[in-house]
Amino acid sequence: MRPVHLLLAIVFVLFVADTALFFHARIQRHQFYANKKILDITTAGLGLTDLCVSTEARYTRHPAVSDKIVPFMDHPGAIEHFPTGSFWAPAFP
Amino acid sequence: MLKTVFEKHLNILDYSLSSLWRRRLKNASVLLVFAGVIFLLASFQMVTQALTQLAKDSLENTPEITIQRMSAGRQEAIPLAYMDELSTIFGIQKVVPRIWGYYFDEANLANYTVMGLDVSAMPFGKKLNLALREGRFPEREGTGESVIGQSVYTAKDLKNRRVISFFRPDLSLKSFKVVGIFSSIVDLLTSDLIVMNIEDARDLFAIAPGFVTDLCVYVANPMEVDTIAKKIADRLSDTRVLTRSQIMKTYQVVFGWRSGFASVCLLTALAAFIILAWDKASGLSPEERREISILKILGWETTDVLAVRFWESFLVAALAFVIGCTFAYIHVAFFDATLFRPVLLGWSVIYPSFQLIPNISVDDLLLIFCFTVIPYLAATVIPAWRCAIVPADSAIR
Repeated sequence: MRPVHLLLAIVFVLFVADTALFFHARIQRHQFYANKKILDITTAGLGLTDLCVSTEARYTRHPAVSDKIVPFMDHPGAIEHFPTGSFWAPAFP
Repeated sequence: MLKTVFEKHLNILDYSLSSLWRRRLKNASVLLVFAGVIFLLASFQMVTQALTQLAKDSLENTPEITIQRMSAGRQEAIPLAYMDELSTIFGIQKVVPRIWGYYFDEANLANYTVMGLDVSAMPFGKKLNLALREGRFPEREGTGESVIGQSVYTAKDLKNRRVISFFRPDLSLKSFKVVGIFSSIVDLLTSDLIVMNIEDARDLFAIAPGFVTDLCVYVANPMEVDTIAKKIADRLSDTRVLTRSQIMKTYQVVFGWRSGFASVCLLTALAAFIILAWDKASGLSPEERREISILKILGWETTDVLAVRFWESFLVAALAFVIGCTFAYIHVAFFDATLFRPVLLGWSVIYPSFQLIPNISVDDLLLIFCFTVIPYLAATVIPAWRCAIVPADSAIR
């Protein structure tokens, strides 16, 4: 067997694996959209503005309704110190 | 002619693969480290894209306009009397007052979001029971009832108990009967949420009568949202007016910036790797020098040697790219981005158990490809050239 044939075999295996993952993503997305109506009802029914991803600070729990200055408002000269604060952009309403 | 060129490159590819196999330990380590760097970069891109898409899909129905009152740069309670002023603006369909805030539970150091509103006045308010795993929403007139999110249920360790208690600001205790628990389907939105009647929330936070936290405004014609928002801002000068499109825009920026920040960190790792690759590729060993000079004696041209080196670099980079991206998908989709969870959650005590759905587009793959494979190929071009111009007689010198 030529080395190229071995390479082709590896490429084929990767192709099959990635195709399977591609269809997995499609199925997952399909399932998400099947439940989307309930998400819509919850968002509209409670008037929610934010995702509950990080609950450690007000400005990472509700970035959409926070000021960009909020991380520094605890006291004069306050510095932002929450870990997720390094990664969340300040909101620009 | 075409067949000859194809045959020639197939043979060169064969030779390159044999050459890679001869130095398999070195090449395998380069492949592994490179795939690792691509895996981290691709994972971050997939996580941020998944969160952005999730926000886009989930927050489509936020209130059209949210009004908050600002005082001394801080958000303050807004008087209900402002609703009278809003009623004079043509186009506003309804205004729903809300009281909401945060409750810090000293027992387990968790932060809950407490929200009090009349759900029957909200759009889809009557269908909200569909979002519950069990129970119902508090009655409009009923007091002392609440609906809690999954994380609150877990953090309070309720099990079969259906009563939770919170302290008012004066440290007196207020108890609530848990009449419903949110379904895990909506965990991403409601995990830390405690929903109750607006008067209960007023009592819990000791907010003065006639004041609320914010006002949700719904307009008759969605095309007029911006105009009405501008009118509100003009009439109620001490308020901040947020429109749905601004909220959606925030979520596009929040995660975009986050990924940018993280990418800077990861690109540093990539730069370090490329320097390593350059260093490895530029250091010609005596064996390599002898091999190339023998090839040249046998009639190989500089372009042929360059082609061999190109194929070697390309195969390593392309395989690392595919393997890195594949494992990144597995990491995000099957393991919920375990490596990045600590960064995402920070010091959060409670967090939702949402499942991320990687949203991979050709743009993202191309971006990762351009940031990883191309710099690697560029870093190995000059060493490959130096390798290819080894004189034919250097082996016998």
